[in-house]
Formats: sequence, structure tokens, C-alpha cells
Amino acid sequence: MGSNGTPGVVRAAGLKRARAAVRPAKRRLLVATSVAVGTLVLTGCSSETTEQWKRLGLPEGATDRTEAMRSLWIGAWIAALIIGVLTWGLILYASIRYRRRNEDAPRQTRYNLPLEVLYTLAPFAVIGVLFFYTVENGNKITHMSDNPSHTINVVGQQWQWTFNYKETVDGKEGVWETGTLDKPAELWLPVNESVHFDLTSPDVIHSFWVPSFYFKLDVIPGRTNKLELTPTKTGTFAGKCAELCGLYHSRMVFTVKVVTADEYQAHLRELAAKGQTGAATGGQDATTIPGHGKQEGEK
Amino acid sequence: MADVAERISAGARVTALPRRRSLGSVVRKWVTTTDHKLIGHLYLMTSFGFFLIAGVMALLIRAELAEPGLQVVNEEVYNQLFTMHGTIMLLLFATPLFVGFANEIVPIQIGAPDVAFPRLNMFSFWLFLFGGLITISAFLTPGGAADFGWTGYAPLSNEVRSPGVGGDLWIMGLWMAGLGTILGAVNFVTTIITLRAPGMTMFRMPIFTWNVLVTSILVLIAFPILAATLLMLEADRALGAHVFDAANGGPLLWQHLFWFFGHPEVYIIALPFFGIITEILPVFSRKPIFGYVGLVAATLSIGALSIAVWAHHMFVTGAVNLPFFSFMTFLIAVPTGVKFFNWIGTMWGGSISFDTPMLWSVGFLVTFLFGGLTGVILASPALDYQLSDSYFVVAHFHYVVFGTVVFAMFAGFYYWWPKMTGRMLDEKLGKLHFWLLFIGFHTTFLVQHWLGVEGLPRRYATYGANEGFTTMNQISTVGAMLLGISMLPFFYNLYKSRRAPLVGVDDPWGWGRSLEWATSSPPPRHNFEKLPRIRSESPAFDLHHPAVAMAEYPDSGAPRDNLLDAGEDQGRVENLERNAGTESST
Amino acid sequence: MKAEAWVFGLLTLFVLIVTPIYWLMSKDPTGTTALVMTFFLSLLVAYYLAITGRRMDARPEDRKEAEIMDGAGELGFFPPYSWWPLYCALTLSVIVLGLVFGWWLFIIGTGLGIVTLSGWVFEYYRGDHAH
Repeated sequence: MGSNGTPGVVRAAGLKRARAAVRPAKRRLLVATSVAVGTLVLTGCSSETTEQWKRLGLPEGATDRTEAMRSLWIGAWIAALIIGVLTWGLILYASIRYRRRNEDAPRQTRYNLPLEVLYTLAPFAVIGVLFFYTVENGNKITHMSDNPSHTINVVGQQWQWTFNYKETVDGKEGVWETGTLDKPAELWLPVNESVHFDLTSPDVIHSFWVPSFYFKLDVIPGRTNKLELTPTKTGTFAGKCAELCGLYHSRMVFTVKVVTADEYQAHLRELAAKGQTGAATGGQDATTIPGHGKQEGEK
Repeated sequence: MADVAERISAGARVTALPRRRSLGSVVRKWVTTTDHKLIGHLYLMTSFGFFLIAGVMALLIRAELAEPGLQVVNEEVYNQLFTMHGTIMLLLFATPLFVGFANEIVPIQIGAPDVAFPRLNMFSFWLFLFGGLITISAFLTPGGAADFGWTGYAPLSNEVRSPGVGGDLWIMGLWMAGLGTILGAVNFVTTIITLRAPGMTMFRMPIFTWNVLVTSILVLIAFPILAATLLMLEADRALGAHVFDAANGGPLLWQHLFWFFGHPEVYIIALPFFGIITEILPVFSRKPIFGYVGLVAATLSIGALSIAVWAHHMFVTGAVNLPFFSFMTFLIAVPTGVKFFNWIGTMWGGSISFDTPMLWSVGFLVTFLFGGLTGVILASPALDYQLSDSYFVVAHFHYVVFGTVVFAMFAGFYYWWPKMTGRMLDEKLGKLHFWLLFIGFHTTFLVQHWLGVEGLPRRYATYGANEGFTTMNQISTVGAMLLGISMLPFFYNLYKSRRAPLVGVDDPWGWGRSLEWATSSPPPRHNFEKLPRIRSESPAFDLHHPAVAMAEYPDSGAPRDNLLDAGEDQGRVENLERNAGTESST
Repeated sequence: MKAEAWVFGLLTLFVLIVTPIYWLMSKDPTGTTALVMTFFLSLLVAYYLAITGRRMDARPEDRKEAEIMDGAGELGFFPPYSWWPLYCALTLSVIVLGLVFGWWLFIIGTGLGIVTLSGWVFEYYRGDHAH
């Protein structure tokens, strides 16, 4: 058996004094680096998007649903950062204030029951509030109306999107448009009119995400997912597939064009004129066993 | 006090180390060993090797993302890289790393001569090693490695969408490694329940051992589900079964089963590392752990809750109950918060010295806290509609998993190195290592939160040049390279420590509390020549510093017969008085 | 053994409460099944530990004032070294690769597996250890 620990204490203490001198320099280095990195980040983006920083990074919301998400996002961060700054403060304060100054044993506190009960119970209040607003705002975001103005069947398929507009255009039932890897699809939406989306996939799971709409929903084979929203801002927005769907996942993007109702109708007529009528929903993999249906790609 | 050597059978004594060792006998010793310490070494070395492999993959991923478009690898390779990076890091690095640390430390902390099933222990290691090799050997096959993400979502992972033997090797390799993990967990549960030294009651076990127990229980719950799920997928692929067909609701079935394993898995790789931190903070703060009972309760609560939160990974499938999983996930914040405040409480009023293990531990606290906060944000389904499957999630889980596993791993390496090898690691290099890694890590991952919020999905091989993601991606890549460079001082440290002087004492840190500091460094074959009497959760401290330990009573404002809430310290005062007496006489 | 039983007992209790709530809220058969199986798993261990604990006296590691001496004597048999874990793991690798590459490999692996498994099981019943 070796000796007990007492010699170790003395040895460690000697080393410590020698090392103490090196530390402040290192801390200055750390501060300098973080300031440099911080500045880099800020100057890299701030010139054009100071507004974005006020939304804590969110792009500008473009539907009637985005406000619910934005307020929850800001609120949750305020709560998180209050707790975070408090806790980081405590860690840093303890690290500095209680640095070893001598070899005296500190106060050997093992517990403090009232304090422990307090910090066990207090978080319940925080998560209670967060949960309440989560449910409330979540319901606002996913609310479905009975009679949406437009219905679009979004088909996600390796590796492109197809949009089936369920409308009667020039006497034809439904028009559609799709894209290729080189020329991604466009989704046209009329501003200020509610749109209902049915999401379907004939092959693997995709996810329909428009960052400016603050919303994504998985597109799952064998299942129809639904969402509804009303675009409130005209313009062009990026859309993406957010669930890994195979080789060209990162090229499965699309463009959302929110336009006036007239332009929207004109676009649909244009599609109908091209003969893209009916419905294009891809192969039958999702609904047949064991994948002996027609191959995908039938547009 | 009885000699432990007397408590074990004659058969165990055969392994007295041979004096002169040829290469053959060294190899034979390592591949046939049943010594938990050697097996621990094997686990730590192997899992660290996997860490380096997956780390290189991460650097390649970051290099690819430094510019829009494809420069370094094509999409096919990119998908293989992130799939294998995730797979290796979680299942072949973090999980076996837990088994490694548990092997090294748990039997010593409870005063056991070895684990309950030494041969099974070695078998578990071989399963992990061979399973891991089978998994990564897929890179050598013509079709390359699995490329359907470490989550292996069906139907992308079926034989039609991901043909090629790489997927099969991925499935069966992980199944085998997972079996090893299950057997390891059986071993630890049995060891902790049946092989504790006399007087080592459950509520005198060090927190690390407690966490290993809870972790092992989680393994027993989660890993069999993974094993079954993988076998069903292989049945789909190889035998033409239709378990995960889309027409049967297979995509959601897979996600439910996978995450029923996957979420406990997150805690399987977090809890043991929380335990390492909990061991280190008291030693370098020179105070007992603050709120021992509260910490045990928090660990048990996290373990239980982690079973009922799995579908928060599935919020945007539109097919799960949002309020249930959101609420359960929020609930986990409570015991995690308790742990945080107990850690701070341990430091509070202490005499803190920032030796390398302590530096890593505080680095863990700072980093993991941010991961915890973004975790609470992600627990809200309303916010997940934007954040899920984006770089925000990538940033979040790296803060959580890297913050926990890697920071605590290095904390544990520097802390237990003298116990495992008998030699110290260099402190100066250790600190350089820490600061490089700390700065590199935060540079890599902090900006990724914004990338995600702004709209960069995860697992994208490329992004548009006009999307405004380039600058942040470049910052992230620079950070990742720094992170890679930070390994160099560590390697040099390892190399250098071969010739460091032997510590020659039981407790080189001076204020060690648990039993591993009451035996030699490194410990003998069956761990103890002699065990101290156990009357608290810090028997080594009671032995070495009885007078300081005695001060716990007035300093905590407790009567001498009721220090811990459950009166678990029965007989401690007499023991301290006795130790104080014997110490002054020697 | 009481504390050990309670660790699993509390887990059983937690799952017992959560499972019906989950079923009623979600009607999801997959998760509910997994939770029910978890319930039986933890119940099994909790029950076993509780019954075993009741049938025997407190072990030295259960007693707060036990001396190290109380645990003296044969603690169990700890094999000094063994080749069999390696051999068994190698044959299992062959079986696993057999599932990937072909049934012939699987059959070879199974054959070898019978040998290695027997080797492991009977390691301490033959040679020097024969009874």
C-alpha cells in the first residue's frame, strides 16, 4: 500500500504558486480572441440585417402564423438568457471569488436543505409559463380553418418538388408544376389568401420548409400531412427539403413566389396552357406492398 | 481490516505479472485479460481511436462547407461522412467511452476486486471492437459506407433506396456493438448491486458510480430496442420482410422505435460524464459534494424522464402528441437545473484551484449550460417548426454532447491519469490543450445556431452563394480546424508522460474523496491491498483528512448523529476520531 | 438490498404512471408497447431484488456499521485470464458477416460458435479444473 495523500497536498500547493503568474495573460488572450470573433460576426452581417438581429436571427416573417412563433422565440430567449446569465454569473463569480488563496480548509458545507428545495421548485414556475405559451402559440400556428381559399398538394420526391394546385383553370381540374435538379420548382402563392397544403411523398421522407414562413412539416410516404397559412408579404422566398432524403438532398430546394391574386391566376393559366393539368403525385411506392408499383417519375 | 487478497479465490492470483515480457507475452496479456483496469484501458484507447477517425470526418465535412458548392467531396461521400461521423461519435465513441471509464473506476470506487463477470466484460469489449470495425469497414466496399444518416430513417434505409452492402454492414456492426453495450450494462448493474465492500451502502456510493448504475439501467431499457429495430431493418433488406414499408406506417414505426432508444441514448452518454464532473469539483474545491442526496435524486429523475420524451425528435412529423412530449421534455430541465446548482454549490465558498481537471470541468459547466438552454427552447414544438432539422439543432446537440462527453472525457483523463498509469500528465500542456479546444469549439458551433435559424438545413452538402451563409460557415470551419489542432498538445502530453516520474502516492491530488484514492496508483491486480473502513461517501478523505471531515458537522449546521438526510453517516464520527488518532501517532 | 430494489421500484412506478397517460393522450401503439415492456423489465428486476433481499440477512454492504472484516472469505471466482471471449466474439463476427454476405458464412460461423461457446462454458470444468 502506498502512503496516504498528505505529501500530495504539499507538492500540489508548490506547483500552484508557480503557475498562478501565467494565468492572467491567458485570460487576456481569451478575452481578446472572443472580442475579435464577436466583432467579426457582427460586422459580417450587421450592415444589411440589423433588423434580423432584433429577431435574434430569424428571417423576416411572411405569413399570418409567423407572429406567434416570433413572440414565443423572443420570449423564450429572454427567459433562457436571464437564467443563463444568472448561472454563468454564479459559475464565474465562484471561480474568481473562491480561488485558492491559502492552504486553510474552506467551510465544509454538505447541504443546505431550504436552498435546495428552492432551486428544485423554482424551475417549475419557469417551465410552467413556457409550456403554457408553447401550447397557446403552437395552436395558433397549426390552426386549420374550415374553408381555405386554395388547396395545394405538395409532393416531395427524390429530389424535386411538385406542386399540384387544386383549382379549376380554364375548365381543367388541377394544374401542376415541377422542377429538375438544375432548375428547382417554383411555388406560387396569392398574397393574403389562405392556402391549405397537403403534403405527400411517393418514396422517402422529405420535409417541406420555408424559413421565412417559420414552418416546416415532414412529408411522409403513406401519410398525408396538412398545414395552412396565409402569406402576408409579396416577394420571393427560399424553400428547402429539411429531412435527409438521399443523394441530392441538398439540391432539393424550391422557390416560393408570393404574388397578387391576379398574377397567381395568370400563372395557373400559364401552367394549364403548357398542358400541365391533372395531378402529378409520383409513384405508388407509398401505398403498395412491396414496392412493385409503377416507378417514380411519372409526371 | 481484512486483506482483499484473502477474499478472492486462489485462481485469481495466478496473474502475478511476469518479470520479463516479450512482445508475444504482452499481446497475450492484453488479448486474454479479464482485469477490469486493462479492459478499461482497451475501451478508452479504442473509443478514443474512433473519436479521432470521426473527428477527421468532421474536419472534412467542415472543409466542404467552407464554400458554397462542392469542392472537397461529392454528395455521395458527403452523405457517408456525416452518417458515419454521427454513428461513430455516438455509438462507437461516446457509449464505449462510458464503458471504459466505468470499467476503470467503478470497481475501485465500490471496493470490489473486479467486475462481477470478468470474461463477459472482455467479451463485451471484443463485440464493441469487432462491431465497430464491421461498421466502418463499409468504407472499403464498392458502394461505400451507409449514407442514410445515423438515424437510419426508413424507408430511405431500405434495400430499394439504399442498396449496397454498406448499409447491411452498418446495421449488423451496430447490432453487435450494441450487444456488447448491453452485456457491459448487465455487468455494471450486477457489480454495483453485489460486489460493494462492507459498509459501502447504496447512499455511500460516489456519484459517478450512481450515475453509471442509472446509465446501465437506461442501456438495458434502450439498447434491446435498438437491437430489435436493427434486426427488423436487416430482415427488410435481406429477407424481404415488410416491417418498415410505407404502406404499413413503417416510417413512423421506425422513428418511434429508433428514438425510444435514441433519447435514452443521449442520457446514456451524458450521465456518466456528469458523474466525472461531480467527482472532480469537490476535490479541487476542497469541499464535500453539495447536496449528495439531491444529486442522486436528480440522476434518477433524469433517467426516468428520459424514457418518456423520445418523440420530441419527431415534433415536425405531424404525427405525435405535442403537449405530452413537450411537457416531459421541459420537466427534464428541473433535475438538470438541480445538478447545476449542486455543482455551483460545491464550488461556492470552496478553495478552488484550477488544475487541468478542474479547468475542463468548469469548461464543461459553461458549455453545457448553453446546450441546456437551447434544449429548453427546442422542447417547444412551436419553435421546432422553424428549428428542427436545421443547424440550430446541430449546434444544440454539439453543445450538449461535445460539451458533456469531450470536456468531461478530458477532465477524466487528466484527473484519473495518475490512477490509471501511475504518472501525471503535464499541466501546462493540459491547459494549452483546454484553451485551444475551448476557443475552437465555441468558434465552430456558436455561429451554427444562427445558420439554422436563418434557414440552413442540416445534412446539406452545399448551400447557395447568395443565401448569406458563407461567412458564418467559414468562421465555423476555422473553429473546427483549431479544434483539430488542439489535439496536438494532448498527443505530445501523452508521449511526454511516458517518462514522467511515478507519483508513488495513493492520492496525488491530495484531497481525493472516493475509494480509488485509497489504493496505490496504479492499483494492484485486484485493486486493494487493504481497504479503509467505509462510513461515508468519501472513505479515502475520511482516512486522509479526518479532522477536516469532522468539520463538516458544525459547518453544515448538523448534529453529529444526523449529517446526511437518511442518517447514512452512522458510525462516521467514531471512525474519524479513530483515524485522527492513528494518523497523529504515525 | 432495499435501496437497490427501490431504484428499480421507482422506475417501475414512474412507467406505471406515465404509460396510461401516454396511451390516453396519443393512442400510439408503438410507444405504448415499448413503455409497457419497460414496465415489465423494471418490475422484474425490482421484484427479484425485493424478494431476494427479504429472504436473506442484510449483507455487509447493506449495513452502515459493517467492518471490512465482515466481508472476508471467498467473494467469488475471478478467472485470471481467458481466450474464450476473443474466440466467441470472433465467431459471432463471422455469423454477423454471414447475415450480410451469405448463408454459407453464417453456417460456418454457427458451427464454430458451438465450439467456442462450449469452450467458454466448460473452461473451468476441464484440464486443470476437471472435477
